[in-house]
Amino acid sequence: MPNLQLKDIFKEFPGVIANDNVSLTVEKGEIHALLGENGAGKTTLMNILYGIYTKDVGTIIWKDEEVSFKSPRDAIESGIGMVHQHFMLVPTLSVAQNITLGIKDKGYPFNNRKKVVKDITELSKKYGLQVDPTQLISKLSVGARQRVEILKSLYRNAELLILDEPTAVLTPQETDNFFEILKKLKKEGHSVIIITHRIPEVIKITDKVTILKDGKNVATVKTSETNENELSNYMIGRSLKTFSSREEVIESEDNGLVLEHVGLNKKLKTLTDISFQVKKGEIFGIAGVDGNGQKELAEVIAGIRKPDSGTILIAGKNMNRASFKTRKKAGLAYITDDRHHEGLVLDMNVTENMILKDYDQEPFSKKSIINYNVVREKTEQRIKDYDIKTPGVKTPIRLLSGGNQQKVIIARELAVGPSVVLACQPTRGLDIGATEFVRQILINKRNEGLSILLISADLEEIVSICDRIAVIFEGRIVGIVKNGADLDLNKIGLMMAGHIGETVNS
Amino acid sequence: MAEAGTVLYYIVTLFAASIRMAVPLTLAGLGESFSERSGVLNIGLEGIMLSGAFFSFMAAYITQSIIVGVIFGCFGGLLISMIHAYMSFKCYVDQVIVGIALNFFSLGLTSFLFMAYFGRTTTVPQCPVVKPIRIPLLSDIPIVGDVLFNQDIFVYFMIFACFVSYIILYKTVWGTNIDAIGEHPKAADTVGLNVKKTRYITAIINGCLGGLGGAYLTLALLGFFMENITSGKGFIALVVVILGRRHPFGVLFAALLVGAAEALQYRLQTLGSGLPSQVFIMLPYVVTVIVLLFSIGKSNDPAALGISYKRSSR
Repeated sequence: MPNLQLKDIFKEFPGVIANDNVSLTVEKGEIHALLGENGAGKTTLMNILYGIYTKDVGTIIWKDEEVSFKSPRDAIESGIGMVHQHFMLVPTLSVAQNITLGIKDKGYPFNNRKKVVKDITELSKKYGLQVDPTQLISKLSVGARQRVEILKSLYRNAELLILDEPTAVLTPQETDNFFEILKKLKKEGHSVIIITHRIPEVIKITDKVTILKDGKNVATVKTSETNENELSNYMIGRSLKTFSSREEVIESEDNGLVLEHVGLNKKLKTLTDISFQVKKGEIFGIAGVDGNGQKELAEVIAGIRKPDSGTILIAGKNMNRASFKTRKKAGLAYITDDRHHEGLVLDMNVTENMILKDYDQEPFSKKSIINYNVVREKTEQRIKDYDIKTPGVKTPIRLLSGGNQQKVIIARELAVGPSVVLACQPTRGLDIGATEFVRQILINKRNEGLSILLISADLEEIVSICDRIAVIFEGRIVGIVKNGADLDLNKIGLMMAGHIGETVNS
Repeated sequence: MAEAGTVLYYIVTLFAASIRMAVPLTLAGLGESFSERSGVLNIGLEGIMLSGAFFSFMAAYITQSIIVGVIFGCFGGLLISMIHAYMSFKCYVDQVIVGIALNFFSLGLTSFLFMAYFGRTTTVPQCPVVKPIRIPLLSDIPIVGDVLFNQDIFVYFMIFACFVSYIILYKTVWGTNIDAIGEHPKAADTVGLNVKKTRYITAIINGCLGGLGGAYLTLALLGFFMENITSGKGFIALVVVILGRRHPFGVLFAALLVGAAEALQYRLQTLGSGLPSQVFIMLPYVVTVIVLLFSIGKSNDPAALGISYKRSSR
């Protein structure tokens, strides 16, 4: 008898059908993957189950009873727990306070810290979820926060755990540790649903896979009876692309971008003694868990923040005191990680966004008057070149998909002929097609001899396209390694957790 | 000897007066601390106090009963605070804008009603005021006894309220819930805490305590009402909240500091230094600005302060 059954769930948001008669069955003690691209309706389906959204049509059967949760509280009380992709933890409270938040225990309303700490310690031992209950959430690593989230559900006696993209922010070691936890959960009879788009993970850990595409069921298969290629075909209709152009590197000794002992905010140690060179014809990757100074590093290079110490050279010129504009003129292109707030003006149209950075330059304007004929021409050209799917040049950028928005940014940044490309999380939140497109463009530009600095929290992305990889941890570069067939992922994982590695310069 | 006695007397009365001046600021500051910890920034504190001052005065004037005055003081504060809550949580209007509007609303309303009831008079209408309560034994302690234990009921209530607030905020689940809602309302919502209900409750606390703070002006310090009687005390209370970092005893301490400046300025005025009195009246405000300077860069604002929570449809 299945533990959970979702039958023909239908959910429509204004203008979009998010779930089109989706069905899903999960047994007791089963790890079930919900596989699909961004926007395939995975998270929506789980939010319906968890009581965040209400379904339009369909049936949910949980432990032989038809249910319809009105709020997460109902779901929690029935034994369903969900760990969101963006953790629902209060950073200023302790681990114990977060785990027990909203629970009316004995002695209410007074705190019973001792008993809570004891209970949590027991629970964390049982499942191998190591945490210090008295620690503040803000002091914890991402991996530890995830463990707190899982404990939070288990403390509420969750029998079914829904995990939304659980490995997206973990180091390889943390991921292994996480898989161990999943096995323990399974052994104790819990059911687990993992929302993911990472196929290798699905193969490694799950028992069954349900694939969604455009809000519809594509297939449900046993993991033991499938393989990566088949899953990829189900998910995107073709096999995944592998980037193997690394061999044809043009070795160059010229540096496009050089950082020497760059430091930012000595007190907080946001960035400390950062030194590296990005050669021409090279993709230099910065790997690391999110929030270790990546964003600040990008902003220091782009000229949004001024470093306290060290020098930044772009094409051999000292840029320490140079403004964003001067750096752009020196050949720097900046692809920001925050499309919506920094890269684009969402309420402006495609054309306007396309000239955001060059509107005051020839040929777009002369004597402060914009020549819209030229602007339109150039925009249309770029739309064609970069295969941007938009209803028209006057369409507000807000209405474009994430992938096409990113293409507009890339077109704008790359069309002016830069020599250095600073790409900060360029594929975050994009679907697989757009991701591959962006990676291919970066490789093409590398092959044309540009210096490319790729900052990404997605280790898979770094490994698949970078020539050299630096790892950043708490604002320091802990090591630089050459990418290649003999790359030791384990070592990179350790460096991402703060262990000092080696440095290779060639 | 006589000289020393005068100086001592002078210091004791100064301290005792500082505490009394701190009462309205502390009470309003405590209420606002509850509100802000739960993520609601109510700039309308001035309006709350003014309304509390007016309604407590009217009630006490008409019934000649201080207790009725106190009750109506709470009611007056609640009136403004509930409008703020409704506009913010139900209509999603910007909390700061509503607060500013309510300050003017309260000023206009109380001035109008006061004028409508009494008309233009040359004699100031008076209401009964609370008398100091001497606490046996404790008040016999030299100096401390006169400063702390020969005060009116509001002073004792202020100290009591600080302790109770401290226990609620730091020792109970309620305090944790309030903090969670102010810091990450969505997280609180997903574990089943009622964000709106909690914020309404803190708004009620804010209204009652702020109203009491206003009532103290009329029922204890002055015994009369006039237009804009609070003259910025609500805004100073907001500063006190920031200085005290929303901690009950922090608020008390900050209020005492500003209260001391105010008590001092009255005494300086009577010294006859030849300086215009406005120079001295400025003192508490100048102190406020100066101490505010020292709190720069130490912000510990709740992350969701001033943002009304809306469960998103998508």
